[in-house]
Amino acid sequence: MTLLETQGGAPRTATVPETRTRKSRAGQHVLVYALGLLFVWFSVGPLLWGLSTALKPEVDQYSFPPQWIPSPLTFEHFVAISHNHAVIRGFLNTLIIASSTTAIALLVGVLGGYGFSRFQFPGRTTLLWSVLFTQLFPRVVVIVPFFITLRHLYLMNTLPGLILVYLMVVFPVSIWLIKGFFDKIPVEIEEAAVVDGCSIPRLLWQIVLPVAKPALIAAAMYAFILAWNEFLFALVFTQGLDKRPLSVALAFFIDENGIRWGDLMAASLLMSIPAIIVFTFSQRLLVRGLSEGALKG
Amino acid sequence: MLVLPATVLIALMMVYPTLQTVWFSLSTVRLPTFQTTFVGLANFANILTDPAIGAGQLVQRTIEWVAGTVLLRFALGFVAALVFNAKVRGTAWMRVLVVLPWTMPSVVSANLWRWILQSDVGVLDQTLKGWGLTRLAHNWLGDPHTALPAVMVAYSWAGFPFIMLLILAGLQGVPVEQYEAGAVDGANWWQLFRFITVPAVRGVLAIALILETVQAVNSFDTLTVMTGGGPANATQTWSLAIYRAGFTDYNFGAASALSVLMFLAAVTLLVIYSAANRASQAQPAPR
Repeated sequence: MTLLETQGGAPRTATVPETRTRKSRAGQHVLVYALGLLFVWFSVGPLLWGLSTALKPEVDQYSFPPQWIPSPLTFEHFVAISHNHAVIRGFLNTLIIASSTTAIALLVGVLGGYGFSRFQFPGRTTLLWSVLFTQLFPRVVVIVPFFITLRHLYLMNTLPGLILVYLMVVFPVSIWLIKGFFDKIPVEIEEAAVVDGCSIPRLLWQIVLPVAKPALIAAAMYAFILAWNEFLFALVFTQGLDKRPLSVALAFFIDENGIRWGDLMAASLLMSIPAIIVFTFSQRLLVRGLSEGALKG
Repeated sequence: MLVLPATVLIALMMVYPTLQTVWFSLSTVRLPTFQTTFVGLANFANILTDPAIGAGQLVQRTIEWVAGTVLLRFALGFVAALVFNAKVRGTAWMRVLVVLPWTMPSVVSANLWRWILQSDVGVLDQTLKGWGLTRLAHNWLGDPHTALPAVMVAYSWAGFPFIMLLILAGLQGVPVEQYEAGAVDGANWWQLFRFITVPAVRGVLAIALILETVQAVNSFDTLTVMTGGGPANATQTWSLAIYRAGFTDYNFGAASALSVLMFLAAVTLLVIYSAANRASQAQPAPR
């Protein structure tokens, strides 16, 4: 496939006959196309199978040969999960946790990011270290101390407890992303505003924040997706049906009849939708942020 | 002060857990009060000798897991990036679809693959049987020999698009003229790849390598949901061992000792990495 790399250059050299390059170029295009399709199948095939599972009746789940296109089509699994207490409760819990984490992370991110960007004070480099730390520190390593901290705070098995834990992971990244953007805003603009009698909160709200919108979106997405998808902390710090987020509910999706795959796939679709929306909405933004240091949890 | 809450939280988050873990690793922890008695290195000695933990195998399996998944993700991601960087007409839509697995929550992708890989009734085995390849149909997740590779495939499926996107971003900065100049000078495709493509994405690859290694060491979701460490411990990695010691056996001393060892390993890796990085930067890179 590395041949593809040469296609921009080879045809224009004088030594290579024009017809031959045209033919080899066409060959390369076919190869690229075929490989592309192969990757599409590898990526999307499993997802299509999950979708198909969610849309066909229980009796067809194990039919041979495998039935890719559901006939008859049914929405019985979606009806079933809408009556499933664990799934509905988990969905609501996850929604509360993810949106609270995002809101608080943004608030602290803006304040912290602005402070780190504009004021000189000792210990500034801790920020960089903490970003590295949260991203590189093995997360399983902190479950024991976090467990004990949450017990001391009487926050075990509560939604605020879980939100607090996620914030600890998310803070440094959101501050870092937002600080990077504030750094690019010339101080002169702010100085001019202050001279004209603008207060600092107003300065933040009316001048700085609108400019920093891309960073805010990136930070919000990072926080939301992390809290939405997280499984390990949720598993350790919650017990019982009422406080469990959706990720844990789906991981132990089993009843006395075993696993109902149709229901599980329908619920999985429910869980994936916000993530898919957020990711497609802003893929490029995310990758840029990611390659500059932050990453998906 | 604007940054005070953040600074306090960060310090709380970095310093306190580290100290607590180290202290616990040197103690016997009694539940439910969490009273500690200092026992020196007894927890570490237990880990290394306890056959139920099987430290040697655990290390070996963890290394296999990390090396296998990182390799697979990089191989898939690199090839995919080259394919979609060729910018052949009619491949843009493919690129969008290929990224989809990365957007899936880890629990979802793990369940999806668990369903696909079910023995006999899973779609993989059914398809193989449909093609007359009944011999190849297999209890993928139930056989200790195939369980780990099977989970590796699922894990790599979920992660390779990220590598692809990173490498694509790196490749975007390479002007076509470089390849043209190289071709004029008579370079073959391997030389063009080796001396133009690879250096262009080197920085990105280095970042991706650290991130992916750490993530692989950390990974817990996919393994837990797909196999829970089984069968016969065949997919038990260091992360799962920490969880099991702490929250199945309620042995917080052992869990902390395992954590400390993992942390030391991670730090060692980072030090080696940054030293290697500095050494390679000291030499003039063929840019």
